[in-house]
Formats: sequence, structure tokens, C-alpha cells
Amino acid sequence: MAERTYLQAISDGLRQEMRRDKRVFVIGEDVGVYGGAFKVTLGFQEEFGAWRVIDAPLSETAIVGGCTGAALMGMRPVAEMQFADFVSCAWDHLVTVAAKQFYRAGTPVPMVVRLPSGGGFSGGPFHSQNPESSFAHIPGLKCVCPATPEDAKGLLATAIEDPNPVLYFEHKHLYRRLKAEVPEERYTIPFGEARTHRVGEDISVITWGAMVHTADEAAEELAKEDVSVEVVDLRTVMPWDRKAVLASVEKTSKVLVLHEDTRTGGFGAEIAATIAEEAFESLDAPVKRIAAPDSPVPFSPPLEKAFIPQVETVASGLRELAAY
Amino acid sequence: MTIAREADPVAAEAELRNSGLDREDLLTVYRNMLLTRGIEERGHILYKQGKIPGSFYTGRGNEGAAVGIATAMGPDDVGAPLHRDMGVHITRGVEPWRIIANYMGKEDGPARGKDGNVHMADARLGLIAMVSHLPAMLPVAVGAALAFRIREESRVAIGWFGEGSAARGDAHEAMNLAGVRRLPMVFVCDNNQWAYSTPTHLGFATPNIADRARSYGFEGVVVDGTDVLAVYREAKRAIEKARSGGGPTLIECMTLRMEGHAVHDDAFYVPKDMFEEWAKHDPIERFRTWLKDYADLREQEEEEIAADLKKLLNEAIRRAEESPLPDPATVTEGVYAAPEDLDTPHHK
Amino acid sequence: MATGTIIDVVMPQMGVSVSEGTIVKWLKSEGETIEADEALLEISTDKVDTEVPSPGTGVVAKILVHEGETVDVGTKLAEIAPEGAGPAVAEPEPAVEPEPAAEPEPAVEPELAPEPATAAAAAEADAPSSAESPGPAAPAAPAVPAETPAPAAAGDSSENGKSFVSPVVARIAAEHGVDVGTIQGTGQGGRVTKKDILAFIESGPAPAPAAPPEAAPTEAEPVAPAAPTEPSAQPTAPPVIANAQPQAAGTGETLEPMNAMRRGIAEHMRRSLDTAAHVTSAIEVDMSKVVAIREKLKASYQKDYGVNPTYLAFVGRAAVDTLHDYPWINGELRDDQIVTRNYVNLGIAVELADGKGLIVPVIKNAEGLNLLGLARSITDIAARARDKKLLPDDVQGGTFTITNPGGYGTFHGTPVISQPQAGILGTYALVKRPWVVQDALGNDVLAIRPIMNITLTYDHRLVDGALAGRFLHDVREKLQSWGEDRY
Repeated sequence: MAERTYLQAISDGLRQEMRRDKRVFVIGEDVGVYGGAFKVTLGFQEEFGAWRVIDAPLSETAIVGGCTGAALMGMRPVAEMQFADFVSCAWDHLVTVAAKQFYRAGTPVPMVVRLPSGGGFSGGPFHSQNPESSFAHIPGLKCVCPATPEDAKGLLATAIEDPNPVLYFEHKHLYRRLKAEVPEERYTIPFGEARTHRVGEDISVITWGAMVHTADEAAEELAKEDVSVEVVDLRTVMPWDRKAVLASVEKTSKVLVLHEDTRTGGFGAEIAATIAEEAFESLDAPVKRIAAPDSPVPFSPPLEKAFIPQVETVASGLRELAAY
Repeated sequence: MTIAREADPVAAEAELRNSGLDREDLLTVYRNMLLTRGIEERGHILYKQGKIPGSFYTGRGNEGAAVGIATAMGPDDVGAPLHRDMGVHITRGVEPWRIIANYMGKEDGPARGKDGNVHMADARLGLIAMVSHLPAMLPVAVGAALAFRIREESRVAIGWFGEGSAARGDAHEAMNLAGVRRLPMVFVCDNNQWAYSTPTHLGFATPNIADRARSYGFEGVVVDGTDVLAVYREAKRAIEKARSGGGPTLIECMTLRMEGHAVHDDAFYVPKDMFEEWAKHDPIERFRTWLKDYADLREQEEEEIAADLKKLLNEAIRRAEESPLPDPATVTEGVYAAPEDLDTPHHK
Repeated sequence: MATGTIIDVVMPQMGVSVSEGTIVKWLKSEGETIEADEALLEISTDKVDTEVPSPGTGVVAKILVHEGETVDVGTKLAEIAPEGAGPAVAEPEPAVEPEPAAEPEPAVEPELAPEPATAAAAAEADAPSSAESPGPAAPAAPAVPAETPAPAAAGDSSENGKSFVSPVVARIAAEHGVDVGTIQGTGQGGRVTKKDILAFIESGPAPAPAAPPEAAPTEAEPVAPAAPTEPSAQPTAPPVIANAQPQAAGTGETLEPMNAMRRGIAEHMRRSLDTAAHVTSAIEVDMSKVVAIREKLKASYQKDYGVNPTYLAFVGRAAVDTLHDYPWINGELRDDQIVTRNYVNLGIAVELADGKGLIVPVIKNAEGLNLLGLARSITDIAARARDKKLLPDDVQGGTFTITNPGGYGTFHGTPVISQPQAGILGTYALVKRPWVVQDALGNDVLAIRPIMNITLTYDHRLVDGALAGRFLHDVREKLQSWGEDRY
């Protein structure tokens, strides 16, 4: 065990996989010589060489499409989008080719696309998005959203092993702010298995990514007011752990679905609908959602603060639920 | 004036011998072209008889270009052909009955009913199944070449695209990356002069697509797509160049799309005289004449080949018709792969 | 696609968005021959005009769509008879009958009833309420409006600011037979929250959990204290009085609220006595023959069928058989008319555990059951009542009821009729008594005989004493002369 930041855990995990399996290679913009815009692959090219840490031209389609082709040929490519926001340039490829190739042609596409996502530092509309819901909606793709250093490492190993295209959303605001003990050896964490980040009795918060920590802080406040809040970290959005969510709802009967992505059509809507459909008789209050408002991510700090769900907002929502 | 090199037509059989094709091989080429056309003609009829759902596309007029390129591919090379390139599937060895089963949406088509048309490929034969968004397969083919380069395998990837689809960014990104990294890639542009109803002068502003190759750092060649041997020669040269580390080539095969964009299109917008002119260059006719002149193709041989193919096609249709339709209950099967599925032929 | 040997020619789909085509010209007429793949007709569609090649070789047998007509893709245009084939009769496409929509199960309302009172009632596994006999019989089950969902969701608790009952509270209330209206709510507007009801149940005053009813007929002895029951279609909300501010208990007194079940029972008992003119007649039955036969059958029934032939089964069989001759006793007064039936839906009263109440599941079409069938049905219905697996249908539609309060040793009683039936049969303890019988010479001698008293409580508006007497007489006759070969 060693204390690692969220970013270091990802870097460690990636390095471990590359050492372990020659088929794994990294491709993206500025990943080689520069070590990646966020330095996740710092030192990688020195160790693995220029043909396993490939500096690509500014070509998201060629990068992601290239990964599909290489994966079809037996490699295990890991593409890095410099910001999750740029994956929209490759949306066509992911949705059209990568997601559907196995279904149509029986040939798996074992590839990973790493996506530094999320906001909170005045990144503006094009450096702060959380696009997981649009991809979770496409059959054939998997979406992973680790919230802790330990989960980040384990989930990355699973992603690389998975025979399907996996979108790995690493929340960049957590990169250096989170530190935790992370096992040094290799381990995997299965997809579709949530983790109870905090046990509680009165209200369940279902969430993922950076919001797990926001929820936790809000739960701390509520604990002082004698309300016991449970925080369930989904860890993966597609597949997502329906059972764990329903079990938590059955226990507490009050649920808040929380995500940093915008509200309308955000993945929380799917979760809320499922809860209403399958846990109706367990509910002691309507299913509540807190998410970013339906706007692009604004740049100026006061605007961004009004956009990204804050601890006070979540705490307030929890109080409403408690009092219902 | 085109920047790309224009390929010479094929002169004599001797030249061909240097490329490694003997008489048997030549007859195989001939046969593959006939089979390609045969499947599409029969499929066309089946479609009109209501036995094939959806839409129906043919590559009539492109048989030479498709078979020519595919004949030059090595056994471990990989290709991502398109809907005008049935000849590639045939040359690589896809069984005709499976192709027809695929048209019909049957279980035994390579796509098992999950996709139709020519959106199919047998991965064991080194083929990658196309999608509708063209030229989306170019970055994928480049990815395959990238894998070969990383593993230092002497294999080549071939990616096809039409002159119309060259307008999309995927083409640019793919060629750029391949050129930058000198990947073992051959780009084949099927220029049949019409993108649905859009003529070339409304699709791009240079005389040829092959002209662009230079801007990506590699050679572009324009070849008469109805001359199967010329295509073969250029393909062989490009593939071997790629295999030996010489980087990509862009081969532009000039033909005319002899039918509509699909069977439901009667191509009224194509000037009649264009059809008349290019009909004189029918690739199968050309090659038959060449074989008679230079390879002693006898009438009896011809008849045997024709009869054999007719029998094969009848059998193929019968077998395809007997193949079952997929079970509706399986509609969501195969959305995700399981680890056990990671056993496709190229995963070494 | 061929039907028999005929080959069909269909309108092809020329393009993905095309849905119809027009016949421009038939190139062959009926009777002409045609080769496979030869052009047969010309069509025109949105996208293109084209020829359609024939799907087979033969003679054009029939042209079904004519030039100028426009039809949908897939429509049969013509038939080709292959050479040598006789004129085949084309089978019409089997018409696809839409499945008749399945009758929805009458909603098991109780589980979801937000209405507090009925939620509690629901706890009794949809048992209709039973009017209680003034005797020692166990408390009765409350009325459950199994059919009428409680739109009374709105109704209740006008004293509380918010009458809304959340799904989980409704479910918990139903499971525990708790009346939400009696709980103090701490939620918004005073609604009862999950916490409130859970706290109430844990520490609350004598909650009436829906304990599984004791299966009456599983014993050898006639057990199952019974009470008449309300079959179905019962009134909606039981009186909603209990929500008034509870008064303080006097010294030495304890107060507890009436739960919905209790209230239902109270309401029904009162109503039944107010409706029917209750009269009871009794008759004593010498059960020796039945006892003997039962002894003989017990072992084989248990072994072969896993069923215990209880006295209740024998009495039930005799009663159902007799009802055939006394339709009014199996009948009903409905407005101004007398309703009689050609079936007997026999209600059997089943006590719930700990005297919590009663359920009267109904055995439908009991007239079609022999002794074995009746014994089985009784076993089954009792088991299901015990396991709370009764469906609303199981407690509705009864036409006559048998109750068995004799399990505790009582020899007589006057049960309350289950509305809207006309009668209820009571059976009592089987007691060995000294009895006057005739010896072989016809002289009176004393014997010891197992005697059971049975009563018929009947609605004198419809059934007169004489009729009741004759009915009881016939039932006794059947029981006293029970032959092994019967039933």
C-alpha cells in the first residue's frame, strides 16, 4: 500500500498494464514527449518507446477509429482524449463503428478511451463537461466513472481487460485533490458493482465521480442534524448496479440522485425512472434529482458555482427529503 | 492536370508473369469477376422478387478494380472493402451462399441478420465489416496498419473509399495519420464518378482524389479501374511497398458506376452517352478479350466456367433460402462481448 | 413464397422508404407461360420504375392486381402454377385473431390501498369481514372492499393536515394490519412517515398483525371456530369514527384504538343482524356411520392423496348435496327478487391465529366435488389462508357458509349470517352420548353414540321454519346413512 493521488493511481495502473501486456499501447495528443496534458503518461515513452506511447496528430477520429482497427487486430489500445469534451469529434466513430462492430460482425473491440472530464476550475464550456449519459445510452459501449484513487486503478485494469469499447471518465478535478492508500499490486474491480461510500439509514444518495465527495460532505452536515445519509457510489454508469441502488432505496425509502452532468436526460433520469418503476412501494418521498442546470458549463466563477452542484445545495436537498 | 501518376495500361502477358500470375491465376481472376457479377445480378433479381429486404447495392462496372486489388493482397493482409467491392469478398474466399444469406437477413450470413447488404465480413479472411457512414472504415484500416507497425509484422492493411466520401474528415485524418507514421497502408479510392447523384465536379475541386496523396506525404496513382491487370499491377506494387516499410499509397481506380446508387435508383441524372461509352470498357469483357488474345482462352473453357458458376449460384441461392431467419428473441444478444469472444483470428 | 404448389408474385420493396407500388403493365396475361426470372410486369414506385422478374416457371394462373392499381409492398399480385401442378387452392392467410385482452385480475387492493382503514383490512389477506356470533367464536375479519379500490384514499383523517399516505407506509400498514389514521404523523403537513409507522408498530398498542389463520380442517377433530363472513362486494369505508381525538383513560382503564379489521367486523355484525331475520334451528346427528367410514378412509386418504377426511368434509358434502333440493337456502334476497343458483359456492370459516380474526375462503362449485374433492379443497384453502396466499377471488362469491365453532367443545350456537346469503350451517363438538337405539328385536336399548349437534341459522324473510327443519332433517339423514360406496 502506498498513498497515491487519484492521478497517480491512474498512471500507476496504466503503467502496470503496459508492463504486463505488450498489446497495451497508448495513443493521444501530447501523450508521448509531453507526458500528457495532465501528465498521466509522464515517463511512459521513455520506458515503453515511441511505438507504444504514440503522439497522434490532432485527429480524434483517427485516434479513436485507429484504436478500433488496432483492437480488431488483437491490440489493447488506450486512447487519451485530451479533454472529455473532445470526444464529440469521435462520437460518430464510437457510436457508429466501435459500439456496433461486435453485434454486427462478431469481432470484439477491446479498447479504452480515457476522458479527463468534469469541471470546477473555470475550464469553461469545452473543458468541463461530463458526457457519460450520451454514451451510456448507446448499446455496445461501457462507461466507467471512478471516484477514488483505489477505484480508479482497479477499474482501469478491468477496462483494459474488457473486450468491449470502454469510456473511462477520470474526473480531472479529483486528479490531485484526492489522496488515499492504494494497493501496489494489480487488482481489478468489476463493472456494474456499486460501492457504499458511506452507510446511512435515512436517505440514500446515488451518485458517481466527483459528486461522491460532495455528497459525503453534505452527509457530514446532516449527520450533525441527526439525519443519517447513505452515499452509494455507482462507480460504473454502464453497466450500473441496479440491485445495490434498489436495496439502498428499500432500506431508507428516500433517495436523491445526484450527478454533475446536466439534469435533462442526464443518467440520473434513468436511475430515477428505474427506482420509480421498481421500488415504488419502498418510497416514502418522491425521487429527487440534483444535477447541473441545463446550460453549457459557464466560465466565470460565480456562474460555475451556480452550475456545479455544491455541498450546500446537496445538503439543502437532503434536508428537504428528511423533512418530507 | 493531375498531380498523381497515371498508370500505364497492361501490355502483354509477360509483364504480368513478372508479377507472379500464371495462367491458372488468370483464369481464377476471370472466374472471380464473373462470380462477382453473377451474385449481384442474381441478387438484383431476388430483390425485385421481394426476397431480399431493405435496399440493394451493386458494384457493376467495378469488378475489375475490386478483384484486381484483392488478388494482390497477401494471405495475412487485411482489408475493409465497401459496397462496390463484392469482388474483394469473392477473391478472399467468402462463400457465395453466405453472401446471399446475408442479403436475405438469414442466420447464416456473416452478420447473422444483424446487418444487411454488404455490411458483412469474414474476419478469418482478413476482412472488416463496413458501416454506412463513409469513409468511417479508413481510420479503422489505419488502426490495423498501426497494429502491424507496432508489432513489426509484415502485413498490410487496405482501406477502400469512394470519391464522394473523400469529402469527409475521416478520410483526411486517416490518410494524414498513415502518412505521418508511414504505416503499412494502401488507400483505394473507387472513383466511379457519381456519388449517388453528385458528379465528381461537385464533390472535389481537383482533377483526381489521388492528387491529395502528395499532401499526406505519399504517392497517388490513377489507374483505369476497368483494366483488372493494370489494377493488379499497381496494387501489387503499393502493397509490397507498404510491406517493406515504404509507407502508404493511394490508388484511385477510375470506373463508371454502371447502375444506380442502389437498385431503387435508375440514375436518370447520368448522361446516356456516359453509359454508352463506359459500356465499351466493361471489365469482364475486356479481360475475356485479353485472355483470348494472350492466354488462349477457348470457347469450351469459357462455357465450362459459365456453366460451373451458374450451378454454383443456383446452389448458393437454394442454400441461402433454406437458411433460417434469426430468432426474434436474440435481438439483444451480442451487444456486448464476453472475454471468451476474444478469439478472432488476428488476436495474436 | 408458395402456397401448396402455387408460386406467389409479390410487390417488391424498391428502396427502404418505399411502401407501395403501382402496376404499370402486365407483360403476360392469365394462361400464358413464363420462365423464372423472365420479366413478368412493370411497376412504378416513388423511387424508380422497373420490371419485376418472375419468381418461378409455369403458367400465370391468376392476376390479382390490375394495371393502374397501387398496392402496398408485399401484396400478392399474381399466382403462377408451376408446370404439371393442378390448380391448387390457395389457402387464405389465417386471420390473426387478436388475443382477447386478458381480464385484469381484480387488483389486490389491500396491498396498495392508501386508505388507512382498508389498508388495515387488507392485512387480513383480503378476507371479507365476518359478522361475529355472540358466541365464543373468534373475532371476525374486517370487510375488505376487494373489488372497490379505495378511492377513499382521499377520505380519511380530516383531522390530520395531510392525508397522503406514501407507498411504503401503505405497504407497511397493510403488512401489519395497522390503521394509518391512528398514528401521529411527523412528516410534512402531519403525514405519517415510514419512521412514524415503524415506531408505532414497534411500541404501539396491540397492533393486529395479520397472523396466519389456523387452518381449521387440518385437525381430526372439528376445530376451526367459525363465524359467518361477508363474501364480497362490500361497502366501502367502514365507519370512520375512530379518528376523533382519543379520550383520556380513566383510572384502571387502558385505551387502544380499534383497528380496521375490528371495525369491519363490528360494522358487518350489526348490519347483518339489522338486515336478516335471524332464526336458528338445531338437530342432533348420530355420526356413528361417519365415524366408522372416516376411520376406514383416513389411512388411505392420507397415503394416496395427502388429505385428511375431516368431519367438516363429511358434513360439508352432505350439506351441499342437500342444498340441491333447497335452492332458497342457497339463495339470496336481492331487492325484491329471490335469487337461486345452480351452483354452490361454499364458504368455510377459518380462524386466524391468536384469535385475531376470521377468514371465510370460498370453495367454488362445491356441488361438483365428491368427498375427496371437498376434503382436498378444504385442506388447500385452509393452507392458503394460513400462508396469506388467498386472492380476492377466493373470498368472494359465496352462496352458503359452514362454520365450526365446536372446536372448543361447545354444543350449540347461533352464528350470524354472512350477507347477502340466506343461511349458515353451524357444526359443534362431536360428543359421545348415551343414546336410545333399537336392538335386533326392535326394543329400546341404550348405546353410546357419537352425537353432533348442527344448526341452521336462516333468514326468515326468505326461509321458513318448516323449510329449515326439512333441510336439517335431510342433512341428518345423509350423515346417518352414509354408505361406504357413496361419494
